[in-house]
Amino acid sequence: MRRFLKSAGKSESPLSLLFQRGEREAACSAAGNRHAQAKFVLTGATGFLGSHLMAELLRRGHAVLALGRSAGGSTLQERIARQLDWFGLQPASEQLQCVEADLLKPHLGLAPAAYRALCRPATFVHLASDTRFAAANRAASLATNVGSLAAVLDFARDCSAPFFHYVSTAYVFPAESALCREEPVALGEFANIYEESKARAELEVISRCRDLALPYSILRPSIVYGDCQTGRSNSFTALYHHVKALELIRDIYLNDLTNQGGAKSRLSGIERAPDGTLKLPLRIVLPRKGHLNLIPIDFFLAATLQILSAPRPDTIYHLTSRTPSTMEELASFCENFLGIEGIEICYGAEPGNWRPNPAEALFNKLIEPYRPYLSDTRSFDSANLDAVAPEIVAPTLSYPIFERCMRYAVEVNWGATHRNGSGFPVR
Amino acid sequence: MKAQEFQEAAGCTDEVLSTAHNCRHYAMCKVDFLGNGVCASGPQRGFVAFYPQGHMDLYAALRDGGAPVTSGALAVADSCDLCGKCDHQCYFVTELRPTRVMRALKEHLAAYLQAGGRVESEAEDPVLARIREIVGDQWATNDRAIAVTYSHDPSPIAVPKLPAYVVLPGSAEEVASLLRLFKETGIPWTARGNGSNILGFELGEGAIIDLNRMREMSFDEKNWSVRVGPGVSAFELQSAAVARGFRVHVAEPAALVLASIMCSGILSLFATSYGTSAEGVLDARFVAPDGSTFSMNQKQGPNLFAFAPAPQTTPGICVSADLKLHPKTDDEEGALIPCSTLAAGLELSRELAQRRIGFAVGVLGIEYVASFMAPTQELANQAKQVFGERLGMACLVLVLGDRYAMGSLKQMGHPLIDQRLFRTLNLGLPHLASAPWLDLLTQLALDEPFGYLKAEGFAELAETALAPSPQRLARAVHPELREFHEKLYARPELTDLVWLNMFRITSSRIGREKHFFPILLYLPLEAGLIEELCARFQAIAQSRGIKHEVGFLAPIDSGKRCIFEYDYYVDQCDAGEIERVREAVGAVAAVIDEVGARTGTLRWMRYVLYQGFCRMENLLYTEVPRG
Ligand SMILES: Cc1cc2nc3c(=O)[nH]c(=O)nc-3n(C[C@H](O)[C@H](O)[C@H](O)COP(=O)(O)OP(=O)(O)OC[C@H]3O[C@@H](n4cnc5c(N)ncnc54)[C@H](O)[C@@H]3O)c2cc1C
Ligand SMILES: NC(=O)c1ccc[n+]([C@@H]2O[C@H](COP(=O)([O-])OP(=O)(O)OC[C@H]3O[C@@H](n4cnc5c(N)ncnc54)[C@H](OP(=O)(O)O)[C@@H]3O)[C@@H](O)[C@H]2O)c1
Ligand code: SF4
Repeated sequence: MRRFLKSAGKSESPLSLLFQRGEREAACSAAGNRHAQAKFVLTGATGFLGSHLMAELLRRGHAVLALGRSAGGSTLQERIARQLDWFGLQPASEQLQCVEADLLKPHLGLAPAAYRALCRPATFVHLASDTRFAAANRAASLATNVGSLAAVLDFARDCSAPFFHYVSTAYVFPAESALCREEPVALGEFANIYEESKARAELEVISRCRDLALPYSILRPSIVYGDCQTGRSNSFTALYHHVKALELIRDIYLNDLTNQGGAKSRLSGIERAPDGTLKLPLRIVLPRKGHLNLIPIDFFLAATLQILSAPRPDTIYHLTSRTPSTMEELASFCENFLGIEGIEICYGAEPGNWRPNPAEALFNKLIEPYRPYLSDTRSFDSANLDAVAPEIVAPTLSYPIFERCMRYAVEVNWGATHRNGSGFPVR
Repeated sequence: MKAQEFQEAAGCTDEVLSTAHNCRHYAMCKVDFLGNGVCASGPQRGFVAFYPQGHMDLYAALRDGGAPVTSGALAVADSCDLCGKCDHQCYFVTELRPTRVMRALKEHLAAYLQAGGRVESEAEDPVLARIREIVGDQWATNDRAIAVTYSHDPSPIAVPKLPAYVVLPGSAEEVASLLRLFKETGIPWTARGNGSNILGFELGEGAIIDLNRMREMSFDEKNWSVRVGPGVSAFELQSAAVARGFRVHVAEPAALVLASIMCSGILSLFATSYGTSAEGVLDARFVAPDGSTFSMNQKQGPNLFAFAPAPQTTPGICVSADLKLHPKTDDEEGALIPCSTLAAGLELSRELAQRRIGFAVGVLGIEYVASFMAPTQELANQAKQVFGERLGMACLVLVLGDRYAMGSLKQMGHPLIDQRLFRTLNLGLPHLASAPWLDLLTQLALDEPFGYLKAEGFAELAETALAPSPQRLARAVHPELREFHEKLYARPELTDLVWLNMFRITSSRIGREKHFFPILLYLPLEAGLIEELCARFQAIAQSRGIKHEVGFLAPIDSGKRCIFEYDYYVDQCDAGEIERVREAVGAVAAVIDEVGARTGTLRWMRYVLYQGFCRMENLLYTEVPRG
């Protein structure tokens, strides 16, 4: 397994080193560490990346103002408390302030007095985003991902924010790009509305921050999974989504073979091998050979905290893996983990006589929105990140990491239950 | 000897009495909707008392002291041979088992007689004698044990009324003579079909004229017409029409067709293409309250085509009508399109009606769909939870059409449950809630709601996951009725969306858990207006702890207007709840009046009573004074 920190021992998380460094610095002199007590304004704190960042900032003693919304009958405060509970945190009320705000409205939809009361200097990290891909959500995606910048940046101005960090995505480049640099992107062809809106948002951030003379950075992570050391995660989208679907398809056929005579399974060539492995012929058709750029959440966090601790104005960072996974690797991980065999990655157009079995048809439908990322040929230059965090490197997704993460996911039933049996804080 | 003692002597349990009290009075036991025959004594003797529904009422009345033991009561008890058919029928709809009540009725009366109980006979009655002269001795009675079975209807909020006489005329001439007699003697009368209108409209204290004997049905194919007597039920008429290759526009299977029209016009999803009220009627003949006769197509007759938004009195008794026959094609199919909001469902149904896609279109609430599909309440609750909460369906739009309509529907790009998948879901209901399957659907819907329905091979996978079969479904019902249900669900029509909607044999399952009170309106198909009404009906119900649900909506006249039903549910044995619903209905009336006055476009069903033969356009569009 490749390590984040070129110098760190295998069991040592880059984060723990950073914490140690943070603690050491804090102990040396509060004045010497200008961020130890700095205040942060976070959006998207109820989400996957945002909750992790919030938890780390709180652990490090920072004050956080989380802007978000209520959902499913719970207030923002309750939602965030549930998230933090998962991290084992119960911050003091003076350290964490949760404010229900409408990012799409001027003054965040708050009454003037309430708004004014919030306007205090703080570093901004804007993570809130509509992360859906479907064109049907175009209007909502543009509103959340681009429209919200108006109110959030106004608020940053009114707070006299020293810095504005915007969390974007590595996929703001056209799919055909070969080497993607840490530079502003030009609008072009996009695979989906998510990419398009994130690219538009970057341009908006750059232009408005320049107007406001507000130093900014743009963080572009690739696709994030759980903690590579512990396997923990509080979100089970992306990679998890596909593994879970395979698990569910497997279970449907196992049940058919075990309890229903298996006639339907056999019709699709699905059967159980003597060693218990499920033979599940499943061809995944992709346009071309490529790779999937995956990074663990602890890498994202380590890199982000490093960027926040030494912010460089007007800089773009790629938080990506130098050793992305191939689909063949991932398929074999899945087979291993799920006790199935028969996944075949096919490249090129679907053959004319392509008659998928139901499992194939469904799985191919399921991955449809993700296809551009599964056979991706882009590579990402990360010179800026290397400059601020030379020791922080994304690990290669090995089978042990994959297994650790998926085992945790299965244990918590993909987010349906907490390990201790209570509800899970996933959204 | 007291009732309590008889009960003990007869070994009755309160569970039996509770079954009797819970008879929904939907009259399903009066039609042979399962093809296994109806209780033999019913058609022979005619009076409701001789059908399972009447047995249930009589038993409850005897136990509650609501009727004396009379010769009529003994005849009713004797007439039942405990064949058990009503268990099949009633269980199918309500999950009740009336046979236990029949047995208890026999035992109760036997114990009463054994204990020396007196059989009461009714006093000599000159009016009854004259009635009998008209209809024949066996078709009129003032026996209280028989009359008591005419004193309730499905509406627990209607006040029961015990009629003095019950008469079953056999012809239009007899009806005319009866109305003249009642006019002369000043006896109020009320026409009665199968008493299932849910609003108490067929109850009365004078004479009840039960029209069940007048069962004329003659087809005139070259004029696309069928002549129907007032005793013909929707199920019988549809069966006869379908056997000849036609379809008729009818409502509930047990409802008598002419009663349905008289009462409300026909409210069904087929109204999308067949319209409502006079739209389905070629001509109709009436006996006026003074005994004279007239027909709709008579220049000098009363103008039944007019509509007034105010309560009316009856124009008389409809003694026959010529109804339209509609063509059928052999490629008809059904599909259900799930929608995540009611507004989306409304908009889709409007668009379909406007584009004339499908011959029947309706927006169905999840409670409806779940109840219709499930043979038990437990399964219905599960299905409702799965469709509503787990899969995020707010409603389903049902479309029936030929292959071109189905093609258009697919072209429109909506994810849909086609006939094959519907059968799978229906016969696989017991597995619907199984975890892997449901989680997979949730996964597949992340980017597009219900997007999995568009995946090739989805129906096949659903079949693998749900293992649908009549045997599987039948395992959910009471063990004694499993074999019957297995055979029943092996019949393809039981899971055929077109057949089910034409014959509607599952729709009264909506009242299985509790009876329901429908709020029915004709109004513009506008999402804003309908959502406002839903919100207000909901608020009224919620503040009183009443279960409430969107029922159904069917576009009419190219989607310019619609029929809309919102339901309140009421436990017919819970006096407190009945009172709360009564009160709620008062509040609902105020809302309808207020919104009606504001918009000028609402027509409340309560005003359609006795005006159901009016011209559809008069009902839907004529100017109503605004407040
Ligand atoms: C579970 C359930 C669901 C229902 N769903 C629908 C639905 O979707 N669509 C729909 O249209 N209806 C529906 N109904 C209502 C019911 O089917 C109709 O109201 C129908 O009128 C009832 O028929 P009936 O024979 O029971 O009539 P009754 O209840 O006996 O009579 C209805 C009214 O018509 C009068 N009447 C009866 N016959 C005549 C006649 N020949 N001449 C003059 N007046 C007469 C009666 O006095 C009474 O006022 C539903 C009822 C139930 C129980
Ligand atoms: N996860 C990845 O693999 C990945 C990769 C690259 C980039 N990113 C970027 O990282 C950021 C966080 O992603 P994530 O994975 O954490 O996403 P996530 O789990 O989907 O969380 C999204 C967050 O945005 C908030 N949000 C969405 N719409 C909003 C609205 N209209 N108003 C206010 N808040 C809204 C959500 O709030 P609610 O909880 O109230 O919905 C939630 O807090 C995003 O900007 C994303 O583009 C993520
Ligand atoms: S089917 Fe059952 S509940 Fe319905 S009327 Fe007949 S006996 Fe009563």
